[in-house]
Amino acid sequence: MENMHEYAFYLGCIAPNRYPGAEAAAIRTSEKLGVKLLPLEGASCCPAPGAFGSIDLNVWMAMAARNLVLAEKMKKDIALVCNGCYKSIWEVNHKLKHNDDLRDRVNEVLKEIDMEYKGTINVYHLAELLYNPEICGVEKIRGSITNPLTGTRIAVHYGCHLMKPRKDRDFSVDAVSKTEAPHWMEEMVEALGAEAVEYRNKMQCCGAGGGVRGYDIVHSLDITNEKLINLKEVGVDALTDICPFCQLQFDRGQIEIQEKFGVSYGLPVLHYCELLGLAQGMSPQELALDLHAINCEPFLAKVL
Amino acid sequence: MVRSKGYPEALENKLIDRVLYDSDRSPEFTKVVEEISRTIPHMCYQCGTCTASCPSAPRSTYRIRKFVRRVVMGLENEALTDPDLWLCTTCYSCTDRCPRDIAPTDVIMAMRNLAFKRDIIPVNFLKTVQAIYTTGHGVPNNDVNRAARKKLGLEADPPTTHKFPQYIKGIQKILDYYKLKANADRIVKEREG
Ligand code: SF4
Ligand code: SF4
Repeated sequence: MENMHEYAFYLGCIAPNRYPGAEAAAIRTSEKLGVKLLPLEGASCCPAPGAFGSIDLNVWMAMAARNLVLAEKMKKDIALVCNGCYKSIWEVNHKLKHNDDLRDRVNEVLKEIDMEYKGTINVYHLAELLYNPEICGVEKIRGSITNPLTGTRIAVHYGCHLMKPRKDRDFSVDAVSKTEAPHWMEEMVEALGAEAVEYRNKMQCCGAGGGVRGYDIVHSLDITNEKLINLKEVGVDALTDICPFCQLQFDRGQIEIQEKFGVSYGLPVLHYCELLGLAQGMSPQELALDLHAINCEPFLAKVL
Repeated sequence: MVRSKGYPEALENKLIDRVLYDSDRSPEFTKVVEEISRTIPHMCYQCGTCTASCPSAPRSTYRIRKFVRRVVMGLENEALTDPDLWLCTTCYSCTDRCPRDIAPTDVIMAMRNLAFKRDIIPVNFLKTVQAIYTTGHGVPNNDVNRAARKKLGLEADPPTTHKFPQYIKGIQKILDYYKLKANADRIVKEREG
């Protein structure tokens, strides 16, 4: 195949272990778009930036550096599909590349396991790669579609850790650097034939991060619920995300919100890769959509 | 009716004006937080943009601006023992918007690191450590998911530490280097018996 861009596919935890359809879709859809995702053997949790960062930032960096070294050994840049992973893997890579003191500290630990962080690779979110015209671009996505999602209204949840904090990020594509009212994911949704819908306070957090989901689930769900109220206000057929942890918070969260607050929304929540999979003709079975807590059928009925 | 922790009863009490005694201050605290966070809380002019951007503020007594002030004032005990310290979702909205170019989120993270040194830490954080120590994953695989993966044409276990458990040793060595597993086990045992 012409000019495949190859990356080490860093999986994280929630995609492979809770939403495997997102993993399968990422691999199969990007292959059609000139992006080949290779297994990154022996990778671990990124580790969870909220939990580990809160306990000890040094451990967080050392653990993330171990994952980075695995990709350095493959001599491949990393691609990943989760904002939380991006926070750990991209940001630690960035910090270690630019701060000798941090890099020395991390390498002292890695020495114990015969590893050395060298700073030889880059880290990307797959969504950012697909948007980038130098790698793929919206037009190429549009061209790969065999089952357009025409007639559906889809809202985007960007999540936090891919783009924020803006001053600690460094995207080659300008549109991805805008954190107040970004539109690049909406362009990616429209490329699938759907109508991308704006809603109030789109950039608000899902509520799960920083360990809050585990610490105070009611507080965490109340943040999620505010977003669901804003989404209901405009009326959408599905919500799409680029972070399996946000996805879990919105998907399972709706069940928990039903139990705790007595309100239900029945809003299907799909990772952008799953959505892209549907639009490229993958079946709901090939995407394991039955593993989702919220039934995707009403949405599927409109697109299949 | 379900409730989140301590709202709204605690709010009024928290926001009340109080006398500041020099004996409550630790200038060292300000310095250490700045070192760990690599940001500049002393530049804060208390505009409140951070609190206004914060998704946790409207539904709790958590006020990020107040925590930044506590750092500047050196109010170590007050900051580290306040349970609201754990309500930051690390969304970084405050950091994006702070007109003084401070990263309030990283100030919170630094304080959480210091709280952990005093064994102040919610148990759920430690359980993530324990899970990673044994499996390499914070959210490990399970049988339902293994079956689903196979149907998708994926391997039952992803090519992570799950398929290659020989890598777990290295992870354990890193965590042991910081005595993290031992501390996590000890604190969880103290709390839960
Ligand atoms: S936004 Fe910045 S300057 Fe304003 S109160 Fe918060 S930390 Fe201080
Ligand atoms: S990062 Fe934390 S303190 Fe800042 S706005 Fe988000 S939840 Fe609030």
